[in-house]
Amino acid sequence: MRYGMVIDLKRCIGCTGCSVVCKAENATPPGVLWLRVIKHESGKYPQVRRISIPLQCMHCAEPPCLEVCPTGATFQHPNGIVDIDADKCVGCRYCMMACPYDQRFFNAEMRYYFQEHPTPFEQVGYQRHQEGVVSKCNFCLPRLEKGLEPACVANCMTKARTFGDLDNPLSEISKLVRDRGGYQLYPELGTNPSIYYLPA
Amino acid sequence: MAANLAQEDRWIPTTCGVCYSVCALQVHRVNGTVVKIEGNPDSATNRGRLCPRGVSGIMTLYDPNRVNVPLKRTNPEKGLNTDPGWVQITWEEALDTIAARLSKIRREDPRKLLLTGTVTTQDEVPFAKIFAMTFGTPNGWNSGAGNHCGTAEHLFGALLHASWSKLPDPDHCRYLLNFGTGTGSGSYYCVTGMAQRIAEARVRGMKHVAIDPFLGPGAEKADEWIPIRPGTDGAFALAMLNVLLNELSIYDGDYLKHHTNAPYLIGDDGLYIRDAKQQLPLIWDPVDAGEKPFSDPTIKDFALEGEYRVNGLRARPAFTILREHLKPFTPEWAEPITTVPAATIRRIANEFGQEARIGSTIVLEGKVLPYRPVAVMYFKGAQGHKNALLSSMALELLTEVVGASNVPGGLLGMNSCSLGYPETGQLKWTPKADRDGLMVTGRWPNPSPPYPPREVKGAETIDLRGMIPTCPGSSGALPVVMADPERFKVPYKIEMNLHVGSNYVMTFANPKAIEEAFRNVFQVSFALFLDESTYLSDIVLPAASYLERLSHTADWISSNSPVGEWCYHVRQPVVGQIAERRSACDVLLELVERLGMREEFYNFVNLMLEVKAPYTLETDSRYSWEEIVDRRYKSLFGAERGLEWFKEHGLVKWPKKAEEVYWKPFSHTRVPLYFEWFKPLGEKVRAMSEKLGIELDTSAFQPLPEWRPCLSYKENSRDHSLYAIYYKIPMQTFSGTYNNPWLDEVSKIDRFAYGVAINTETARQRGIREGDWIEIKSSPTGNTIRGQAALTEGIHPEVVAIAGCGGHWSKYLSVANQDGKGLCFEWLMPVGLDNVDIPSLTQDQCVRVTVSKARAQP
Repeated sequence: MRYGMVIDLKRCIGCTGCSVVCKAENATPPGVLWLRVIKHESGKYPQVRRISIPLQCMHCAEPPCLEVCPTGATFQHPNGIVDIDADKCVGCRYCMMACPYDQRFFNAEMRYYFQEHPTPFEQVGYQRHQEGVVSKCNFCLPRLEKGLEPACVANCMTKARTFGDLDNPLSEISKLVRDRGGYQLYPELGTNPSIYYLPA
Repeated sequence: MAANLAQEDRWIPTTCGVCYSVCALQVHRVNGTVVKIEGNPDSATNRGRLCPRGVSGIMTLYDPNRVNVPLKRTNPEKGLNTDPGWVQITWEEALDTIAARLSKIRREDPRKLLLTGTVTTQDEVPFAKIFAMTFGTPNGWNSGAGNHCGTAEHLFGALLHASWSKLPDPDHCRYLLNFGTGTGSGSYYCVTGMAQRIAEARVRGMKHVAIDPFLGPGAEKADEWIPIRPGTDGAFALAMLNVLLNELSIYDGDYLKHHTNAPYLIGDDGLYIRDAKQQLPLIWDPVDAGEKPFSDPTIKDFALEGEYRVNGLRARPAFTILREHLKPFTPEWAEPITTVPAATIRRIANEFGQEARIGSTIVLEGKVLPYRPVAVMYFKGAQGHKNALLSSMALELLTEVVGASNVPGGLLGMNSCSLGYPETGQLKWTPKADRDGLMVTGRWPNPSPPYPPREVKGAETIDLRGMIPTCPGSSGALPVVMADPERFKVPYKIEMNLHVGSNYVMTFANPKAIEEAFRNVFQVSFALFLDESTYLSDIVLPAASYLERLSHTADWISSNSPVGEWCYHVRQPVVGQIAERRSACDVLLELVERLGMREEFYNFVNLMLEVKAPYTLETDSRYSWEEIVDRRYKSLFGAERGLEWFKEHGLVKWPKKAEEVYWKPFSHTRVPLYFEWFKPLGEKVRAMSEKLGIELDTSAFQPLPEWRPCLSYKENSRDHSLYAIYYKIPMQTFSGTYNNPWLDEVSKIDRFAYGVAINTETARQRGIREGDWIEIKSSPTGNTIRGQAALTEGIHPEVVAIAGCGGHWSKYLSVANQDGKGLCFEWLMPVGLDNVDIPSLTQDQCVRVTVSKARAQP
């Protein structure tokens, strides 16, 4: 069992719905974006392409962040999800330097979107976050425990995201990776990410 | 105590209101706090998913900048940067003041009242329109978005598709020619549902060709991007038509004969030749070698080509005249206008024509239907120009000549034909034919559709719509006339504006000119925020947002999915009343009572909201907004499905039939290929304008398309100036979402969302580097706006492109008013009739600008 995700760049329109639904689901504070969408342009006028690439924790099979964590706060679940135990995190941020995908976020102190006016949503939601620790995407583990898909998968307008078991060759994501030429980011680093992209 | 309270954990079905796509929601509320907004998986409209704006609504619901109490100004001086000096008043005082003003105006001349709204308040604005109608004013302005949408496009929607808007058939289309729309890429109608369906179409292999000055969100998803000079899409389309009809002879003769006026005989005066007895348009039957009325049952065939003599006069089928008319518009003619190589235009015409698969059929629900898997989409980008009418006509005819109109694979009206809710037969409309055989819409959002044309009247309205019946909705002339009614012989001045949720100061054109037109008007605003337009308000009422109010949102059929199922959602409050916020519909009902208009108002409600016996509103009772919504629901969907049922179930849906979605082959209506009635209508408009002493260029009222340069084109290359254009992005709706901090956060990541797209080489010539602050100075207004350069190869070298409508300055918008939060494009656009397409009253939205590196780099 190894949870993974396929992101179909042919379907993706770069709307950032995944970024925003991640904020809503996980009530992440300002500046903490577990999921971002970047654009990549290639070619010369008028032969130009620009594609959108959603980025988040790659849940690497060989996570460099885990190796450098001095307290054991970063750990890997048996299902492959790379997670952080906030109670053990001391905020040293070695993991942030180690992550080649730049997908970890340090919440120095709790801030609110409207400064001194925390919204009722933030008052409730930010109880889930600690100050002075690192956080990141956990594939919406609390949702998985309820039998739901990660929020970014469930909400994607174009159904660009598919979630499943990479170890099962019959799973939909394994098939998509095989049939549509799925690829990982920076495979040469040997991190073996659990997120695969399908060509645009 | 708190610990003893039972934990509340509810999902409440309702409807989104951040744009006009009316997606169904389920809102998660825990102990009174909204913690998540999701798409309602039951809905056929958005199928359980949402765009970023839909998800972000929590942060607007709870934004501390929201207006919470009624306010009145204390500073008598009005200005775009002058603090009104707001003080809190009671609802009672506010309503007393408003009712007294309204009473006075209604006694004197009710036309002095103006209603302004936008398309994101699509539940409140139609109700306010009923209020305005009862009050006695014809003056309304969909100012927030109306003028920047598809004014001429909506006109042709009515004339050719019996609908407000169109979408490609996502299930069967194989070739989408997209002139600059965001269909399937996070904007335009039915945003979420179409994003899903068009993504499926991409995966199954639909080819998407985007013709657009900028490689923006729509063009990014295309298989091929063809950059074009702004305002020249009509020239591209004309050349394609010429190649199709005169070089390749690709057209759907069968469709043209039976579903258009292509066979109607036209005389040398440009008008139909009619039979003497019934005055019906004539066609030529080549089998019987004679003319016959178009509806004659003995017709054996319709001639599309040739030259005949009828009553001694030369008579030619409209199709022949079109073909002849197109001959000068070669790809070589279009190349220097559009900057698109002639070979490219020819190739695209050929691909489009081949892929239309004329003659082929498909079997759906056991019915054999024409299969024409090509569609042409265009909207604000291609038609928001001085040449709106004639360019739109050319773009529309591409779909018509290949017969891809409202058949499988083609372009579908949204939603032209409804056979009704099966249990009640309500919500039933079908396009019908008039005496000339031409199509009249079955349903239209305004009191009368553009065809048949209304009588040309003098200065009845404050926006020239009384004189120009072809304007389908909102008029680009309103601020011009409002600023100087005497010049247009309007016998009154607007004294009061009932302002329902639009930030018109920032969403039409030059805010200074808009300020001039509105500063002497007593303005009552239903507002979520003290935005820039409320700087001109006298009273601001705290509006309930879409998450806090009730409405039947069934009317916005343009965002009902084009295929699949009919789906009507309820909108209901998902939290208890916050502060003193109230729904505009509630407040309007109270004003109806205070003004003593109940009887007339209820009659209009019964008519406009289709409330039928036994649910009609009776004058001797007073109904709450809840009761009116309940009665409407019962009238449409049956006694079992009143408001309580909808509050629990959220929506009602039923399958669409093939003859509703692909209705054209089942219909006996014809659409114009030759817009014969435009010419006499234009003559009437000219006569009226001359009578009133108003200078109007009515020359665009003509039956066939051509291309005319916009003002910005005529200024070509002077001072090395560039074109400025703007476009929509999926993270923001018009100007209304810029204070949402989640949308702000994702917008900041995308350098185009808040910056200015400029071609790498164009920037280099001006010493501009990535991220530099640049100044964009408008040639027509002289105004300058500033933003950060986003260098790209993906833009026409003569163009800078600005996304959405940022650049807020209200001190009451703490997120949006910061530096670097986008630009307000409207500062660049002039207000004036020189900049308006007269037949459709479309505002031209491309301007000439000079671009330079800003002296100070903050």
